[in-house]
Amino acid sequence: MAQAARRALSAGARCLAALCGALAVALASSALAAPPQNKNPSWAQLTPQQREILAPLAGEWNKLEPVRKKKWLGVVKRYPKMTPIGKKRVQTRMRKWAELTPAQREEARKKYQRIDKLPPAKREALRQSWKEYESLPPQQRK
Amino acid sequence: MNEPELGNKIRHLLNQGAPLDPRAAERLRAARELALARRKAEPASALAWAGGVIGRLGGLGGLSLRLLLPVALLGVALTTIYGWQQNQKVAEFADIDSQLLADDLPIDAYLDKGFDAWLRQHAAR
Repeated sequence: MAQAARRALSAGARCLAALCGALAVALASSALAAPPQNKNPSWAQLTPQQREILAPLAGEWNKLEPVRKKKWLGVVKRYPKMTPIGKKRVQTRMRKWAELTPAQREEARKKYQRIDKLPPAKREALRQSWKEYESLPPQQRK
Repeated sequence: MNEPELGNKIRHLLNQGAPLDPRAAERLRAARELALARRKAEPASALAWAGGVIGRLGGLGGLSLRLLLPVALLGVALTTIYGWQQNQKVAEFADIDSQLLADDLPIDAYLDKGFDAWLRQHAAR
């Protein structure tokens, strides 16, 4: 009985050890595959291309948390594929976006995702509505 | 032959006893008494139990290797999974932000409370 239990235990341990070994190999290989990267690059450590795209953030870049830097570098990666007008919009909105509170950004992202799921006709209607609303005198925009 | 059968056979043989001559029996008895007298005192039962447990896990060296290695690897794995999830989240935000910032609706359209209210009114009309 105890022998059987011990055998089961050691079989389990061997199985676990094998699993751990496989995991360790996987982790090591993924660590080797990914190029070593600076998790918190300063403005000076960015490439000239990154600095050019992120220029509106130059003043506050060094104060950003590492996670937000990483997010912006992700935006830089997607930037070359944008349309010229898209690039221009990103440039003009970047600073304002970075100055919002995390809660505001979260809210805007959620709304964007909701709108993005709408059928194209509805999205277009919403855009028209915004133009109409924007053209109203300030006291009517309430 | 299975285990109980073998056990029965051995018990039967032992019960029969070995035919020994009295001199040999006497020598065996003396040797047994000598051995008993020289036997060390038994270790305390708690210590014996602990020793048994540690022995079962492969001794103290075995304990550190067999138990601590998987625990350490598990810790590394959990940290990696957490890091990976964070990475996924950052990538997702980079995706959404890129699209949102390049979209033709300006940021204000998402944050203007007045626009939401105006839209509702507009729809009601």
